[in-house]
Amino acid sequence: MDYSILLAQAVLNGLVIGAMYMLMAVGFTLVFGIMRVVNFAHGEFYMLGAFTGFFTYVYWEIPFVVCLLIAALTIGILGMLVERTLIQPFRSDEMSGMIATLAISVIIQNGAVSLWGPQPRAMPDIVTGTLAIGPFSFPWSRLVVIAAAALIFTAFWLFMQRTRLGRAMRAVAQDTETALIQGIRVNYIYPLAFGMSVALAALAGALMGPVFSVSPFVGLTPMLKAFVVVILGGLGSVPGAVVGGLLLGMIESFTATIFGSLVSDILQLLLVILILLVRPAGLLGQREA
Amino acid sequence: MEGSSTATMGRDEPHLAPRRRLLPGIALVVVLAAALVLPQLTTNQFYIHLANLMLLNSIFAVSLGLIASVGQISLGHAAFVAAGAYVSALAALSFKLPPILGIVLAGLVTGLAAVLLGKILLRLRGVYFVLVTFLAGQVFTLIVLNWESVTHGANGLLGIPAISIFGLPLSTRLRFYYFALAAFIIVVTFVWALMRSQYGRAFRSIAENVRLAESSGIDVSHYQIVAFALGSGIAGAAGAAMVHYIRFLSPDSFTFNDSIAYITMLVVGGRHTMIGGVLGALFLTPLPELLRGFVGAQHIIYGVILLCVLLFIPNGLVSIGRSFFSKGSETETPK
Repeated sequence: MDYSILLAQAVLNGLVIGAMYMLMAVGFTLVFGIMRVVNFAHGEFYMLGAFTGFFTYVYWEIPFVVCLLIAALTIGILGMLVERTLIQPFRSDEMSGMIATLAISVIIQNGAVSLWGPQPRAMPDIVTGTLAIGPFSFPWSRLVVIAAAALIFTAFWLFMQRTRLGRAMRAVAQDTETALIQGIRVNYIYPLAFGMSVALAALAGALMGPVFSVSPFVGLTPMLKAFVVVILGGLGSVPGAVVGGLLLGMIESFTATIFGSLVSDILQLLLVILILLVRPAGLLGQREA
Repeated sequence: MEGSSTATMGRDEPHLAPRRRLLPGIALVVVLAAALVLPQLTTNQFYIHLANLMLLNSIFAVSLGLIASVGQISLGHAAFVAAGAYVSALAALSFKLPPILGIVLAGLVTGLAAVLLGKILLRLRGVYFVLVTFLAGQVFTLIVLNWESVTHGANGLLGIPAISIFGLPLSTRLRFYYFALAAFIIVVTFVWALMRSQYGRAFRSIAENVRLAESSGIDVSHYQIVAFALGSGIAGAAGAAMVHYIRFLSPDSFTFNDSIAYITMLVVGGRHTMIGGVLGALFLTPLPELLRGFVGAQHIIYGVILLCVLLFIPNGLVSIGRSFFSKGSETETPK
């Protein structure tokens, strides 16, 4: 009885963080797949999303859905600008591009510290109450996160599969030159993909704002986990990011329940290093040509 | 891209005219003399402290440059620095090992650890290697935090003894300065000699084109492990030297941010030459002091400088110096 409630709790927590990791990793892997850029600033866009969600929801008191939209739009546009001005010059040079994102990350994080101060802020839940099923009770605030993440991902997936633009993005990811020959404007695809990627991160940040707290430093952990997820699932693979994200959420939730969160973190990172050694391109990833 | 490394490196080859070798020689003597005398002329302890940090950071950046010279960028460099620091500090505190031996021990342990890790990690190339060194660095920090019985966790280690040579403790900043200067000269000379040897040529050919190097019969993984082990070992020894100078060590002493700082120094100075790391460290270490007026903006300015260098002088400060010195007289081979 006690164990089953503990188990249910662990599953729910695993789904919540897994959903967040999934959103982070999908965006991260999208940018890598299309642009071959490892975005070390991905976590900072999560943080900006969390702050946008916080300020719009707490100060403007508008419906949370609108807050999410605002976060996705503003951060997405910011991402497009960043890509166009700061990342595009390094298109032929993976390493310099990666170091540039490190610099962007440092600038955004410290900019946030000087604007909003280092102290964490608590964000109120967007819904209250619990859903009771038999002996189990699940807080709605957590269920909403899972549902929202699932919706966002579905929308993203439909966009990638069903629209011309989505197809164009996938074509660029497969082979940039051939895509160019087919008349796809790669110069538009890149900023757009980057914008979408960081918009997903911003949505994850805004959704998790009420679950964790909001501070300039909240971006590091999700980014770390996004790394772990994309290595699990394979750099550049969107299905890998989904499976890896949910899997990692579950692993983390269960190992944290059993061993504590620090040991859980160490175990996860060791697991990743192990997987990389056995399958260097990730579990679902393709070997690079 | 990496192709420019040969163009810049090739200029160190010994077939230059004697007149062109004289000028750098004189410059070197002048700089060395200044480095020996200048600290005697100031009583400001802070300047000497800054000079010490500049020398240590130079060693960190040069050792990272050694690893980068085979085309791999490590984002876990600070973890090796921290590992060396912990080895020497714990040996001194628990077993009363003289710090000077502790530094040697730290270099050997981290170098050996790098060989073992390198055998595994260096199978990965490019971004995968970067990601996994980043994660390995995080694992190290977590282990140090968690292993409280040995490392005292987040509380850190206090009362770490200073280095002493023949009974003379290097407990003042000035005394440590000469030690750091000597260490710096040894490291730079060693790396310089290494890069001119057969190893250096192999490193550069790997950085330029891994597959071509491999098919030319160069044992890529061997040379990558050598570079990784030497770079990490030097970093570990320098970390140990630093901890006997700062005399306090905690998991926050060397973190991911320091790894980024070393990369910044290397890139800003010029990542394709050994002297680049030195220049970067000499330029960036005192920078926060000059920016005292902009409290809180220091890190932002660091990031902005890094971005600007990447965008506008991709080969770093070294390339400015080179084009200045070689004006007119040079037939630079274009990339």
